[in-house]
Amino acid sequence: MSSINQIPVIEAKRGNPLSKVFDELVRFCRSRSLFILHYCTGCGAIELPPAMTSRFDMERLGIQPMVSPRQADILLITGYVSIKTLKRVILTYEQMGSPKYVIGICSCTVNGGMYWQSYATAKKLDEYMPVDLYIAGCMPRPEAVIAGLQQLMNRIQSGEANSWEDYFRNYDYYLGNQQKLFGDNWQTPTDIITEAKHYNLMGEGTFGEHTRLLEQHQKPLEALDMRLGHNLKEPTE
Amino acid sequence: MSQEIAHWLDNLLEEIEGIEIRRKSSRRVRVDVPADALPALLELLQGRAGYIHLSAISCVDWIDDEEFELVYHVWSYENHSLVSAHIRIAREPGVYLSVYDLYQPAAFFERDIHEMYGIHFEGSPNMGKFILTEWDGPPPMRKEFDSEAYINEHLSWQEYNPPWLQALIAEGGGVVIPPEEQRFSRKKS
Repeated sequence: MSSINQIPVIEAKRGNPLSKVFDELVRFCRSRSLFILHYCTGCGAIELPPAMTSRFDMERLGIQPMVSPRQADILLITGYVSIKTLKRVILTYEQMGSPKYVIGICSCTVNGGMYWQSYATAKKLDEYMPVDLYIAGCMPRPEAVIAGLQQLMNRIQSGEANSWEDYFRNYDYYLGNQQKLFGDNWQTPTDIITEAKHYNLMGEGTFGEHTRLLEQHQKPLEALDMRLGHNLKEPTE
Repeated sequence: MSQEIAHWLDNLLEEIEGIEIRRKSSRRVRVDVPADALPALLELLQGRAGYIHLSAISCVDWIDDEEFELVYHVWSYENHSLVSAHIRIAREPGVYLSVYDLYQPAAFFERDIHEMYGIHFEGSPNMGKFILTEWDGPPPMRKEFDSEAYINEHLSWQEYNPPWLQALIAEGGGVVIPPEEQRFSRKKS
């Protein structure tokens, strides 16, 4: 040790010593206030009204239904997803604010269930969007739905439920599966790559051959004309 | 009273040539007619016997006979009885007349059958896409459309075989898949 410069210095990460405590608090609060998007795809939706209302009462766990995707935390896929519906599900999922969680209820979301032979039904939901939790059954009872939601709450609290980041980090994989099903012209109104850059969630799988294909035909998004009656004819003078 | 009407109806139907009437019960009549006599039959039933309600048009694909079977179910509110008129048309080219001018709800059924079986109905007001708006494959209900081959090509599949299902299968229950020779899509090869 001839010089003081040779002494290895481990640069300690300076930060708020309370940040970990704070993160834990945030996760605790987040897991106690979950809003389920009211979007029901298949027959499993019939199990949700008893789960929400007085008999099983989801609200005692802090889980409530919510009407708009931008205010919801959980996307429940309750049953078979036809290919037409899957497009709408993906649009809905991309509009939801992060962090967002997807739960696949019923056997159909696992592998098509009794529609395994059907041309119109998508088989594996986790090919098109990251799924946090599957609740298998045809259909699962409200007890099973609530047990699944409790498991999701535990996972959120322990910080394991971060599969929504996976959609940004492996966007090329999900986009590839979507393009395989919907054709090469598939484009959603949400620009996931720009969002991934903005939230600093770029991963190795964000770019790839499928995103390059998307960029070739991607139309830039335009702001909507917000004037009242903009579709009325302009008065000619 | 209903006996009287049934008797009267039988007499009425015998006015059409080549017709075969089978009375299934007091309220159900099955009628087999040649394809070109069907509009006349429906006109007769609607105009003179009060069968004013077309409940459904159903279609069966008899691929081995190279024929489509169309079944027109008409209901009478006066007689409280259902007449099912069966016709057979050739599978190729699969064209038939629309009965839209007699029964307006036929437009709905014919559009559906056109989409699912590819039968073209001449004179139907709209033969456009109906439910399968984002589908560009062949009409999926035709027997030659192999649904399994389609999903093997376009979709992937995953096994779901939890222990409770294995226990069910060991007891002789569980999912039953019919043997190869009973499945139409495997019969061709």
